[in-house]
Amino acid sequence: MRHRKTPFIFGFLVVPVALYILLVIWPYLQTFGYSLTDWSGASSEMNFIGLDNYTKLFQDSAFLGALQHNLLLLIVLPLATILLALFFAFMLNVGGKSGTGGVQGVRGSAFYKVVFFFPQVLSVAILSVLFQGVYRTDKGGLLNGVLIALGIVDEQHPWDFASNPTFGLWCIMGVIVWSGVGFYLVLFSAAMQSIPKDIYEAAMLDGAKRGTTFFKITLPLLWESIQTAWVYLAIAAMDAFALVSTMTPGAYYGGGPDHHSEIMATLLMRNFITFGKAGYACAMGVVIFFITLVLSVVSLRVTRREKIEF
Amino acid sequence: MSTNTDATTGIPAQRNGGNDEPRKPVKEQRFADGGGVLNVFSHGFLALWAVLIIGPLIWIILGSFKNNAEIGDSAWSWPSHWGFDAFTRAWNKGIGDFFVSTVIVLAGSLTLTMLLGSMAAYVLARYEFRGNRVIYYFFVAGAMFPVYLALVPLFFMMKNLGTVIPWLGLNQYAGLILVYTAYSLPFTVFFLHSFFRSLPSAVHEAAMIDGCSHTRAFFQVMVPMAKSGLISVFIFNVLGQWNQYLLPLTLMQQQSSSDPDRSMLAQGLMNLAQQSGYASDFPGLFAGMTIAMLPVLVVYLSFQRQVQAGLTSATLK
Amino acid sequence: MGSATGYNRRDLFKRAAAITVLAAGGTSLLAACAGGSGSSDNKSGASPTLGGDSKNPFGVKASDALDVVIFKGGYGDDYAKVFEDAYKKAYAGANVSHLGTQEISGKLQPRFNAGSPPDVFDNSGAQAMKADVLVSADQLTDLTVLLDAPYLDDPSKKIRDVLLPGTIEQGTINGKMYSLNYVYTVFGLWYSAKLFKDKGWAVPKTWDEFITLCGTIKAAGIAPFAHQGKYPYYANYIIFSLIAKQGGQELVKKINACDASAWDDPAVLAGVTAFNKIMEGDFLLPGTNGMTHTESQTAWCQGKAAFIPSGSWLENEMLDSTPADFDMAFLPVPSLPGDKLAATALWAGAGEPFMVPSKAKNKAGGLEFLRMMLTKDGSSKFVATANSLTVLKDGVNADVQLKPGTKSSAVAVKAAGDVTFSFSFQDLQTAFDAEVENATNELVNKRISPAEWVARGKAATAKKV
Repeated sequence: MRHRKTPFIFGFLVVPVALYILLVIWPYLQTFGYSLTDWSGASSEMNFIGLDNYTKLFQDSAFLGALQHNLLLLIVLPLATILLALFFAFMLNVGGKSGTGGVQGVRGSAFYKVVFFFPQVLSVAILSVLFQGVYRTDKGGLLNGVLIALGIVDEQHPWDFASNPTFGLWCIMGVIVWSGVGFYLVLFSAAMQSIPKDIYEAAMLDGAKRGTTFFKITLPLLWESIQTAWVYLAIAAMDAFALVSTMTPGAYYGGGPDHHSEIMATLLMRNFITFGKAGYACAMGVVIFFITLVLSVVSLRVTRREKIEF
Repeated sequence: MSTNTDATTGIPAQRNGGNDEPRKPVKEQRFADGGGVLNVFSHGFLALWAVLIIGPLIWIILGSFKNNAEIGDSAWSWPSHWGFDAFTRAWNKGIGDFFVSTVIVLAGSLTLTMLLGSMAAYVLARYEFRGNRVIYYFFVAGAMFPVYLALVPLFFMMKNLGTVIPWLGLNQYAGLILVYTAYSLPFTVFFLHSFFRSLPSAVHEAAMIDGCSHTRAFFQVMVPMAKSGLISVFIFNVLGQWNQYLLPLTLMQQQSSSDPDRSMLAQGLMNLAQQSGYASDFPGLFAGMTIAMLPVLVVYLSFQRQVQAGLTSATLK
Repeated sequence: MGSATGYNRRDLFKRAAAITVLAAGGTSLLAACAGGSGSSDNKSGASPTLGGDSKNPFGVKASDALDVVIFKGGYGDDYAKVFEDAYKKAYAGANVSHLGTQEISGKLQPRFNAGSPPDVFDNSGAQAMKADVLVSADQLTDLTVLLDAPYLDDPSKKIRDVLLPGTIEQGTINGKMYSLNYVYTVFGLWYSAKLFKDKGWAVPKTWDEFITLCGTIKAAGIAPFAHQGKYPYYANYIIFSLIAKQGGQELVKKINACDASAWDDPAVLAGVTAFNKIMEGDFLLPGTNGMTHTESQTAWCQGKAAFIPSGSWLENEMLDSTPADFDMAFLPVPSLPGDKLAATALWAGAGEPFMVPSKAKNKAGGLEFLRMMLTKDGSSKFVATANSLTVLKDGVNADVQLKPGTKSSAVAVKAAGDVTFSFSFQDLQTAFDAEVENATNELVNKRISPAEWVARGKAATAKKV
């Protein structure tokens, strides 16, 4: 029965693997190569300089700062998005009044599910322009306009949102969470609906409160979806480039004020394009590569759980 | 799955819990303990979030009817006249073309991604052979790294490819389709791998005993069985590729002044934003965003059931 | 390669003005003269040499297509189409392709890398390509041949004789002229003459008067000073003008050279301390520290703020948002006690660098295109459509109506005479400039003191390339 297996396996794998090696793996590997040179990016001339770029990198305070910010994004974004999405999903699916209706979502849950998903279909370009309007630093900004109208903010001292050294990066994270929650809400809702209702009802008959059912029933049964979401969000967190570079202040690709919202991607692009230090930028890329590798291995280990069948 | 039937009583239940007060047995109040407070809180929060989503979107649409002074003045200003000239300006700047380009590329790249991704994932998930794990991790590793790491060499790769095969080079739809596909493979393989693993093997074995070839078994037995998983990974990919920004920015630049502009939508919009920055045409920019946004919202609203169902089935396995 | 950033981040001249290898420049001037005719640089294909034909000195062939890329910024790109039409007329049948874009490096970096650059391009904007990098990669044509070519309006003169002083120096890198900076720009403060007239405010001559006036303006319920806070280099126009006037041309040179000792000069601290009085008096437009150029300039046009720093592209850029009776006016940065330079001295320079790539297919056509831009008619067309002056001496036909802002900057240029200065570090020392911009951003947000600003500037000289 299995005699024609090898040609079949080969036939199915050859095209995807070839394409993947050519366009993904090979460029990544070349990045390693360039990181050992003083290449400027504008000409084809380069000299081999060994590990010089790497020793410089770890003395570069802007780089170390960017590294911390990326780690912050990597922790906060998935956590905030997943928690919010879980909360909403729980509300929309089993958060309604437990009357004779049994376990159900709150009123209008279909509407919420549709609306919350909206931002996901907006392109990142729209997000950037939209939130520059929202975070605008005078009363022409949506948020400042609202806050001033409510008397929370003094018109003479409006909030500076994305330009604030402390909150700038959090404002960016707000955008990413805003746009991402809906998708994970739908993903988790789907998973929740596949949990048989009688499990909840049995628990409730036993006197369990809703909060308890969430932690004892919903969460464990959703673990695999959460893991998928985590991976997807972690990838998104590594690439906040478009938003940070357009929304935060600072010379060349944002990241300001004074590197307070600097992330690897903005630093890398600035060194590559503006400062003409392509070799150095590639070294940065390689470091990011290893950090991500270690983090993914660790997080996959930590979150590994037994699959629950139901 | 049935939300309309009360599992314990079999009585058809209302989706809106508040409409059936008279029939509510007293003893069931016990389950709702604290429910009132929680309900107010959760309802409030849900409504707030909905406002946070809808508010800015309406604000953009309103913005396309304002003039520069009104946009700069106060967030609360109302457009003084309702004209569509900002839309005309935005459209003349090529929003429609960007749309068509994006649809062309996505049509190609999504088809290719799904085909190649499912083939690879299937073989890796259900056949044992030497190197299986290596290739699998090889694919998964790619999902972990941001695209910009590979950008520089990738650019030169596409440029060189273009000198050998012109229609695969820079600013070519086919070239971008291949790149999108390649960069979507890791996640697609990762996702579908676990999906194919979870499918029962009995059907497949039966098909093989019936003399089905491996290829036919895949396309005629496994693919239909995996339909739900395919749909959800398809949705992931639509969203991912729709939002690509760095790749087209780098690879879809006109190679000479006579080379057609094949900008993707996100890229074209940023360009429009830039032009507005120089000529201070904010209404035009807002109109451009509205034009780019509305069709997608309409498509989503018409297909939202399918989208949600697709994601639902992903977790049903 | 392209970037997201370019979005909204602009400046017509920052880079342009910057190619300035500077200034009163003995060495660079000599070098430019010594360049002689013809290019000695043959690494990248033959450079056109001057032929005897004054009508077609570069030997342009009408059969060769001309590929033009124009930065479509504050000046738009329509003016270039006028020159293209002239080119098509002179070389009948020539196929001219035109691309107007903001993303100069986005569109062109790939083409340079791929060896298929355009024949002539306008290297401006936030995404301009780094001129020093292009030169060191041998990507640009030495324009000395253009300087020695006959002037179209009067073939007895050479192009080099009809350019405003400083133009050649500002296009010179490593001793050769690689860019023709076409637009003459002044940098300083801008205000609405109508507003001042209505309120009876006198235009300040000294910085002390300026600060006093700011108090008056604030009392009248208008914010005295707005700036493009998201892009701190606009505020730097003011700070560095104060420093240059206080410290003199030698100090300008040292700062441009990233000489750390320049920052020990008391003039640096004096300049930034004077600027900091704006923050001490709380004279900033609320929110201006986080605004883009469009947001802050629109607010200024609406009369929410009295002064704003910018270069002279401002008038054209804000054309649609400026009220008809606004009467835009330019004010050179007011003087401090003990200034080494005259009170009328100002930051001025040639911007909008046009370049001819060394690997261009039709180099002769590119050079001829530049020659056609330098005619009185061509220059007048530019002045009329773009509301800015060009580097062509006496380059405005009498019938051209200047807008108020352009007129007032022309007056300031005349008053300044030879005493102009220009800072090139904003383009040539981008890593240093980035640090200075960050420091200025901290200063306007009152997070550092003027002394700390100086210390950071001095430390940043370590980023010298």
